[in-house]
Amino acid sequence: MQGDDVAAVQVPPDDRPGPASHHGARLGGVFDAVSRGEPFATDTHAAMDGQADILEIKDFNLWYGENQAIFKNSFGVPEGKVTALIGPSGCGKSTLLRSVNRMNDLIASVRIAGDMSLSGDSIYALGVDVIELRKRIGMVFQKPNPFPMSIYENVVYSQRIDGVRDKTVLDEVVETSLRGAGLWDEVKDRLGSSALRLSGGQQQRLCIGRAIAGEPEVLLLDEPCSALDPIATGRIEDLIQELKGQYTILIVTHNMQQAQRASDYTAFMYLGRLVEYGPTQDIFVNPHLKETEDYVTGRFG
Amino acid sequence: MAKDSSQASPALKPGSRRSSLFARGESMVWLTGSTLILCVAMIGGLLALVTVRGAQTFWPQEILRVETIDGGALLGELVKVETYEPEAHVFDAIEDEGEREKARALVAGLDGKSERWFLRTGNRSTENRDGFHWVQDFEVARETRPPWALTIERSEWGRFYGVPKGFLDGEQLTAETPDAAWALFEKHHADAVETGEEAHELEKDGIGAIDARIEAARLRVRAAELDHGTDSPEHAAAQKRAADDEARWSSERARLRKRVDALHTESRRFAFLMTSADGGEHRVGLVDIVRAYPANRVGWWEKVGIYLARWWEFLSEEPREANSEGGVWPAIFGTVILTLIMTLLVVPCGVLGALYLREYAKQGPLVSLVRIAVNNLAGVPSIVFGVFGFGFFCYTIGAGIDDVFFAEQLPHPTFGKGGILWASLTLALLTLPVVIVATEEALSAVPNSMREGSYACGASKWQTIRRIVLPRAMPGIMTGMILAIARGAGEVAPIMLVGAAKMAPSLPVDGSFPFVHPERSFMHLGFHIYDLGFQSPDAKAAEPLVFTTTLLLIGIVVLLNVVAITVRGRLRRQFVEGR
Ligand SMILES: Nc1ncnc2c1ncn2[C@@H]1O[C@H](COP(=O)(O)OP(=O)(O)OP(=O)(O)O)[C@@H](O)[C@H]1O
Ligand SMILES: [Mg+2]
Repeated sequence: MQGDDVAAVQVPPDDRPGPASHHGARLGGVFDAVSRGEPFATDTHAAMDGQADILEIKDFNLWYGENQAIFKNSFGVPEGKVTALIGPSGCGKSTLLRSVNRMNDLIASVRIAGDMSLSGDSIYALGVDVIELRKRIGMVFQKPNPFPMSIYENVVYSQRIDGVRDKTVLDEVVETSLRGAGLWDEVKDRLGSSALRLSGGQQQRLCIGRAIAGEPEVLLLDEPCSALDPIATGRIEDLIQELKGQYTILIVTHNMQQAQRASDYTAFMYLGRLVEYGPTQDIFVNPHLKETEDYVTGRFG
Repeated sequence: MAKDSSQASPALKPGSRRSSLFARGESMVWLTGSTLILCVAMIGGLLALVTVRGAQTFWPQEILRVETIDGGALLGELVKVETYEPEAHVFDAIEDEGEREKARALVAGLDGKSERWFLRTGNRSTENRDGFHWVQDFEVARETRPPWALTIERSEWGRFYGVPKGFLDGEQLTAETPDAAWALFEKHHADAVETGEEAHELEKDGIGAIDARIEAARLRVRAAELDHGTDSPEHAAAQKRAADDEARWSSERARLRKRVDALHTESRRFAFLMTSADGGEHRVGLVDIVRAYPANRVGWWEKVGIYLARWWEFLSEEPREANSEGGVWPAIFGTVILTLIMTLLVVPCGVLGALYLREYAKQGPLVSLVRIAVNNLAGVPSIVFGVFGFGFFCYTIGAGIDDVFFAEQLPHPTFGKGGILWASLTLALLTLPVVIVATEEALSAVPNSMREGSYACGASKWQTIRRIVLPRAMPGIMTGMILAIARGAGEVAPIMLVGAAKMAPSLPVDGSFPFVHPERSFMHLGFHIYDLGFQSPDAKAAEPLVFTTTLLLIGIVVLLNVVAITVRGRLRRQFVEGR
């Protein structure tokens, strides 16, 4: 199935007969239009109007070489809330998330059009200091990626690269961040030992602690629980609830229950398009589009 | 995939699949295993040969006295015994009819085979330049082990084998029996050697320092001449100073000279009066004796003592007698310093180069080309690097430095000849590909997720490299360093051209200002092995030392590697395994 999706994205939008069209035929309506590459507008719920958006995505397009992966996405991420990105595999959720802190700059073939803005500051304008931008955004990856150093040094990495030396400041950062990430009690006696010796769930919480240690305005979580067992997943979901309000969180997830439990708003993506966007309750209980309903109830594909 | 294949061959009956011998891999196990055994056997054999031959060099041997049927006599150590088939004319050389027949009968009784002994008889002098003898077993009339035969290691002319007849104090005979002479030797030997050393030191440091001052004054005159011309006031002033210096120092020099001569005379006072195998009498001055022992009387523990003392001398002393006697300390020092400087040069260069290639450069045909070029550099014969180093470092850069900074020394080159700096640079160039390739490998093994995590925290590229990528790649970089050390320390061909010397007058690092002398030539164990084996005038005496020196070189390379491997293990535990 994933193979089909990838192929669909890689075919130029104008002349796509290909495997995607049989999707469209089966699902009908919006998906059909998307598959044919017809112009298409996101169904954004009225409840999204008048929100205080911290992150604004404006007509954002992205290409990997010749293949377009994101098609004209536009939406706002409300401040202090949890917004979930859902959609079938390969639809561009990670790509969109990585575009927010410009991690895609690291891939030579990537080209973009459109813009995003963080608290009103353009992200893609010429002359934006990418490093300063990334310091305002925290990111947690699908697979835990602790650095090969002590737990302590992992947490204060952002401070270290900013040249902070004051031990009392660093100690405080470590304690608040690890408490914030719900890891403090487990590791407070072995902060000096290597982070690579933690369990997978602990490592992921350490990565969250590392992300919030930089006091970001937005926290990007890309399937943070996909490598974890249900108990570790539960802890991270609790953590997301605790971090809500203090941080704006944009989370990618394949787990519908998780999206429903943890998020305030949900965006549904398909083949690089943002299909429907609204409050989580509405998306799951009362979606405007049949396709969204099919997907969130598991009838999709 | 599995599903597909089962559908594609529905006719296949269960159990109808037979795997061939190759598929089961048995034959491959044998092939790989026996190849490994072959490799291990070859390496092990080489190491065993070097270790056994190298370790036994210094063990004190008994002294044999062999009296031959033609009335001659030999005194010395048995080096080896060979079996061979003597040709008929060999026997014709035996003069006595009866002996000749006896010899023929002896050899005939042994299937025409005979043994011949190779004796180290020493006692080299201006008349006897060889010091080794072959004896056929049928020539031997009598074989004894004289209890008072002494092995004397002399500071010149190598070993002396003989029996002490007496002891001389000046011209006066103060002992007439071997044991009395031995007692007197033990009493006076240390003093004589010490006095001799004092004389040498005074000669080298005292008179040498004065000569250096006079030479410095001469160089100032020359520099003034070069800078200002012959008739300039500066030149005149320098000349006057040089004359003053010389006048002031020459009386001091004469006084020292006298003292040195007195010390030399004093040190030469005592001597052994020795009888050699042919009955001749020889005076052997105590000051010329490095070590002496009655080889057939010393017990096992004393032999151990002599063995260890000889090892210590080997490790800590300077060579004598065209390198075939004495120690190899300068060569050890030169090898280690050369390798260290090379490592200090090659590792940063290689790592920075690899960093650019792997982390900064845009991957494309140009980078691939550079990579191929670097890899090919590893295949260039090392002598080519030597030629390049000689032409480029010594003759181009070195000569340039001389022209600018050491003009007054010309025509004697300072940097414009082989030296330890140029040799280190040449070896660094030689080992650069190893470090670059290993570092690139290590860098590409760093998981991308770690880099992304660092960038996501707002780190710059350099911060990411320095704090995440490099520490994580460090064990791999150390592997490159280990390979470079192993390659560089054993390389001989290139350094022969760029600064290794048979005999270097002084070490490249010493106590005289500015302490490190990058322009000095140096001794090197690898070159020393070549020199001992192929350039020595006394090749037979040097042969066992070839093995001992090889053993030492292997030991040093192993030691350097063990240090590096330990560090690497620690880094790997810290940055890769997280222990
Ligand atoms: N580095 C890359 N180079 C080229 N194409 C890429 C690259 N990364 C992703 N893509 C393509 O972009 C499309 C979107 O990928 P993306 O990783 O954003 O999907 P996703 O929604 O995160 O999927 P998943 O849920 O499986 O993680 C896919 O078709 C993928 O093949
Ligand atoms: Mg993804």
